[in-house]
Amino acid sequence: MRKYFLIAKNTWDETLTYRVSFIMWRVRNTIQLLTIYFLWLVVLSGNKTILGYDQPAMLTYILGTSLLDAIVLSSRSYAVGEEINSGNLMNFLLRPINYFKYWLAKDVGDKAMNVVFSLIEISLIFIILKPPLFFQTNLFYIFLFIFSAFLAFFIYFFINFLLGLVGFWSPEIWAPRFIFITILGFFSGSLFPLDILPKAIFSILKFLPFTYLLYFPLKIYLGQLAFSEVLQGLIISSLWVFGMYYLVKIVWKKGLKTYAAYGK
Amino acid sequence: MNLSKYLKLWWKMTTMVSQNAFASRFGAILFIIGKLIRFSFFMFFLLVITSRTQAIVGYTIWEVILFYITFNLVDSLAQFFLREVYRFRSYVIRGDFDYFLTKPMPVLFRLLFGGSDALDIPILLLSIIFIFISFTHLSSITFLSILIYFALLINGLIIALSFHIFVLSIGILTSEVDNTLWLYRDLTQMGRFPVDIYQNPLRSIITFVIPVGIMVTFPAKAAIGLLSPNLILISIFVSITLLYLNLKFWNFSLKRYSSASS
Repeated sequence: MRKYFLIAKNTWDETLTYRVSFIMWRVRNTIQLLTIYFLWLVVLSGNKTILGYDQPAMLTYILGTSLLDAIVLSSRSYAVGEEINSGNLMNFLLRPINYFKYWLAKDVGDKAMNVVFSLIEISLIFIILKPPLFFQTNLFYIFLFIFSAFLAFFIYFFINFLLGLVGFWSPEIWAPRFIFITILGFFSGSLFPLDILPKAIFSILKFLPFTYLLYFPLKIYLGQLAFSEVLQGLIISSLWVFGMYYLVKIVWKKGLKTYAAYGK
Repeated sequence: MNLSKYLKLWWKMTTMVSQNAFASRFGAILFIIGKLIRFSFFMFFLLVITSRTQAIVGYTIWEVILFYITFNLVDSLAQFFLREVYRFRSYVIRGDFDYFLTKPMPVLFRLLFGGSDALDIPILLLSIIFIFISFTHLSSITFLSILIYFALLINGLIIALSFHIFVLSIGILTSEVDNTLWLYRDLTQMGRFPVDIYQNPLRSIITFVIPVGIMVTFPAKAAIGLLSPNLILISIFVSITLLYLNLKFWNFSLKRYSSASS
């Protein structure tokens, strides 16, 4: 366990080594966040509401996506495909280290740094722009929010890892990831709560993993879901976690059989 | 060198870069599909919002679409023509930049227009089609406002060109290109919506200081008939001044290039 803790800590230190790049990355995130923040601020100005969202609920949702993005979507495991393509994977296969746990630890280190910066950014926005926000006081909802974010963390990790495993069969690892990021950007709910979409589309999205990365935890935080809906969402999230876990294991085993360690 | 020679050079470099881009057809097709998905999803997002609210800061659905498409066209044209700037850092680090300096071709031309990205062509065509569809849905549109729209679009491209020259100049001085370039991309994406959604002083900053507003919002405002002649003149003045200053900055940076990698 200690070695994985050290890997996470090294990732944290690595990020601090390339400070300028990381700070620029956070500045870019903040610009994107502010764009969507201001859009919703004007759309819901003057006590307007959209499908149950007033200004405080929507702005809490949008700022919440920033924090949850840091917890769930920031990662280093996108580099798995490159490691396979370059042949670097061989170095890990020879070491007494679990490759999954290695990347999980790296992700944790990366997320920790992103969460710290995200909290600072949100605090600054709160101090400077003074948005009307909704604060959840019910501990039960807060607990469920944390639990659903925990599940989202693993769903994203396994999907990300799975995309990297494409590297076993193709050198073209960035193009599928580009499509994935595009779909994720829309269907995870980072621009808007997914339930403002037409009902037919939303009812399909309920069964896809993207919905459970940002949208679902934030809906729980806002207290806008009935207990049965929360339970249904947690069951679907859990199924995705286990489903993706087993899929990654199967693909990993098949990939290793075809792996020729070219590049090294 | 005359213009036709520049065009020939550009064409030659673009065909070579395109052959490279299509070396993996599977990857190229996926990238094109990805760009089209991104475009369609964002349009859908705008449709969903405006269907729920009727208007955004007083702009109707087709006006909001025109703002987005104008941003998309300026952004895609800049990416299409100036894609080579994204490769500049590796040229500096690997020493290729020294090699470019010895060639009988203006080095700034080589770095800016050294290979257009053919993968952007479908999205460019789609943007142009949507611009004309938007025009047909604007009640206030006139032939003159369409002319001003395209003039300001070219003006916006000059600003985009200036930004890219700035990125190259910073790249020479610091070897840092990617962060500056992506920061530019994120600032310009603020122009996907009319700049009127932002509160002051942010609105003034992104209109005049970092002239994203002039670059992508002003052409659409002119088409809708919301831009005064004074602002049109100011926007032309801003773009020419920016281009002039950045060319000066480029010359300043080039004189300080230390050829560290070779």
